[in-house]
Amino acid sequence: MKRKDFLNNLIAEVTNFMLEGNPLRLVVSLHQESDGAHLSFFDDRKRNEAELMKIRKALNPVHNRPELAGYYGMMTGHDSSWDARLKLIGWQVKHASVNNSDSGLQIDLWLGSDAFNPADFTIDQRR
Amino acid sequence: MKCEANEKGRYFLLGSLLLCAAVMGFLTDGIRLTIFSFLEIQTVSARLVQDYTVLGVGGALLNASLVAMIGLLLVYFSSVTLAGPTIAAIFTMFGFGLFGKSVTNISFILVGVFIASKIAGKSFGAYSLIALFGTALGPVVTLLAFDLNLPLYFSLPLGAFAGVVIGIILPAVAGAMLSLHHGYNLYNIGFSCGFIGLFVASLMRAMNLLGPIEVTWNTEPSTALTLLIPLFSAASIIYGFLSSGQKVMTSAREVVALQTLSGRLPTDFFDAVESQTPWINMGLLGLASFAYVTLTKSSINGPLIAGMATVMGFGSFGKTLKNSYPVVAGVILATLVFGKSLSAPGPLLAALFATTLAPVAGQFGPAAGVIAGVIHLIVVESSGAWHGGLDLYNNGFAGGLSATLIITLIHWYKTNRTKEDFINEA
Repeated sequence: MKRKDFLNNLIAEVTNFMLEGNPLRLVVSLHQESDGAHLSFFDDRKRNEAELMKIRKALNPVHNRPELAGYYGMMTGHDSSWDARLKLIGWQVKHASVNNSDSGLQIDLWLGSDAFNPADFTIDQRR
Repeated sequence: MKCEANEKGRYFLLGSLLLCAAVMGFLTDGIRLTIFSFLEIQTVSARLVQDYTVLGVGGALLNASLVAMIGLLLVYFSSVTLAGPTIAAIFTMFGFGLFGKSVTNISFILVGVFIASKIAGKSFGAYSLIALFGTALGPVVTLLAFDLNLPLYFSLPLGAFAGVVIGIILPAVAGAMLSLHHGYNLYNIGFSCGFIGLFVASLMRAMNLLGPIEVTWNTEPSTALTLLIPLFSAASIIYGFLSSGQKVMTSAREVVALQTLSGRLPTDFFDAVESQTPWINMGLLGLASFAYVTLTKSSINGPLIAGMATVMGFGSFGKTLKNSYPVVAGVILATLVFGKSLSAPGPLLAALFATTLAPVAGQFGPAAGVIAGVIHLIVVESSGAWHGGLDLYNNGFAGGLSATLIITLIHWYKTNRTKEDFINEA
């Protein structure tokens, strides 16, 4: 339940963000292991470098903020009517990568315990 | 516990300000009277509105400094960053240490939140903000322990137990309350504490244990109290300019840039500018608050300092001059329309604390802010009685209700615009 809730909220927040760009296509991919998970999001709207940097910055905060993740992180994925706030996600994931794929924006999120190794995940290896 | 240079400076400034306030207390009343009134404060029920400065300015300032120092030590030892939200919490704790929070009544709630963090398998740091702000329900502890004329061997454990239980349930309630107003009420824990307070007050009323609310409001002028906020504000502004290590104009431009942020939770201004300029914003808000209170010709007392210190604190976590003034204007407008006095305790505190709704103005514009201020004053005049004055952040409770109403209406409008339907949708 805890993991399902967490994944559900992350997916809701990121898709909220991507839907703000009004894409014609949006794909969400989940790969789960016992010690972690990899979430990939693809749409068909490419972003310029400044936009990519802004997204990267929001998803990869410089400092760990457990006080913000533990409390305000509870808002993640709960309010699709308002602007998406990727920083809520950034405090809660291990790492995020943001790039333009062949078709549009691709956001990858890695989450899990410290023992979790993102390299074990097939989608990442393929890239 | 590892600190960066910027953070060390923040600890130094906050520690110095708290020490300065305690020293001002001792200088005002002398060591003996200060300690005597400090001890007396620990046994006051502290329901709204009980101005500790009536018992002694020295004791009140010592209590406020110690309450905030406990918060500061907690931030340090729980390895969380001393930045926007934690600085807001420390300033708020200091302010309410002058009317409602005491070293006694905050301790058990902190223990309760610590237990909740262990139950949830999280670090205490993850719940540290809930713990710091959650001390708003401190009066429940002291009311049960000292105000019901029960034998102390029974009432003391009862008060302690109630504080711990409140601390345990707070994180769950706080998370749910955030979802109601979507981060547009800055004092979300005040909203959560008000919600819990409704049940506690109802239970106590059912047992005939809760008397009517009384207002203790110090009208005696005090030099120490009058100087406190201008001193804190000046120190913040000077520190903001000096510690940023950049040209004055660069810092000034960053302060102007902060004014463009909506302030919706969680907006840490120290993240937004990556320098120390949020201190300048805090200082400016402190001076603006002080100017407003002075214009109403009110004597500076404990509750008013709490209001001004809270406004200052949130100057690093959501409040700016630009998003705050419309809400204050709304409160002033409602006060005049309903024929109340601007210098009466209720409207005066509402004008300061209503800035909890600053993000409404920041996001939806000044008109929305004025409407929020009007609604806030109407609600806050009644909401204190609902929870029997047990929630010290009554304005946070009223602000949460007001924000929920406003945001719900906007949400309904936004999600029912027919122009966004698919073509030929029925």
